[in-house]
Amino acid sequence: MKIDHSLPLEYSTEENRLKILGFWIFLGAEIMLFATLFASYFTLVDRTGSGPSGADIFEITPVLIETIVLLTSSFTIGLGVHAMRIGNKKAMLSFFAITLLLGAGFLGVEIYEFVHYAHIGAGIQTSAFTAILLTTLGTHGAHVTLGLLWGTAIILQVKKRGLTPETANKSFIFSLYWHFLDVVWIFIFSFVYLKGMM
Amino acid sequence: MSELFPRKQVMGFVFSMVLTAVALLVYFLDMSFTAGMTVLLITAFVQAGLQLVVFMHAGETDDKGSIYTNIFYGVVIALVTVFGTLLILVWDM
Repeated sequence: MKIDHSLPLEYSTEENRLKILGFWIFLGAEIMLFATLFASYFTLVDRTGSGPSGADIFEITPVLIETIVLLTSSFTIGLGVHAMRIGNKKAMLSFFAITLLLGAGFLGVEIYEFVHYAHIGAGIQTSAFTAILLTTLGTHGAHVTLGLLWGTAIILQVKKRGLTPETANKSFIFSLYWHFLDVVWIFIFSFVYLKGMM
Repeated sequence: MSELFPRKQVMGFVFSMVLTAVALLVYFLDMSFTAGMTVLLITAFVQAGLQLVVFMHAGETDDKGSIYTNIFYGVVIALVTVFGTLLILVWDM
């Protein structure tokens, strides 16, 4: 294995570089996946039947908390990758742990929101609107849930094996995934919630 | 301690918060649909670009060209999917 020391650890071998490029290609596919959900959402948003509309059920406070928490977690994982690059394993693990805690906080608020929707009669079977709303939000939430499990595994592995080209590469790829979830959330925040409450 | 908080990322974070605040104006001010959507489109896409460049380090290596081409391709397909659907199913053209 040829290690190029002029590059950060996560890029240091050809395999590592290709894995990062491969993950970007996966993210390209994820963009298209969420585009189909947004397309369906915009189509069905007014088909509320006898159920509530977005303006009836959206609340600004939980949505704002979710947005700030997720944006902050995107920042802390960025700091984690920076700490990894300067070789500070302890700081890196702390930043990754903070990121996952914020992610869990986000998920907690989202679960509260879903329970609240179900409670006020906006379940997944209420109308075409609630169905696509919960499918879109749920797909994002499922990604965050997977991210929590993945991130925990990354932290454990870096703890056990230290920073090697392999673990650094995995950590960097995880950070790409996490930032991507934040980008998707920005679009949900803008075009589902804010547009709905406008 | 300060070496753990690079200026570029801190500024990126502050800017992303500012963008969120600007997007919130749509909720707190009484805007027309067109004005509101314009604000949201601008803030959302600037925010996405910010994440891509500042936090995701998209332009760091020799793979820069491939990465940007791929993301650009993904975004084009996404826009065609969304606006194609709107055009046919919602705007009825």
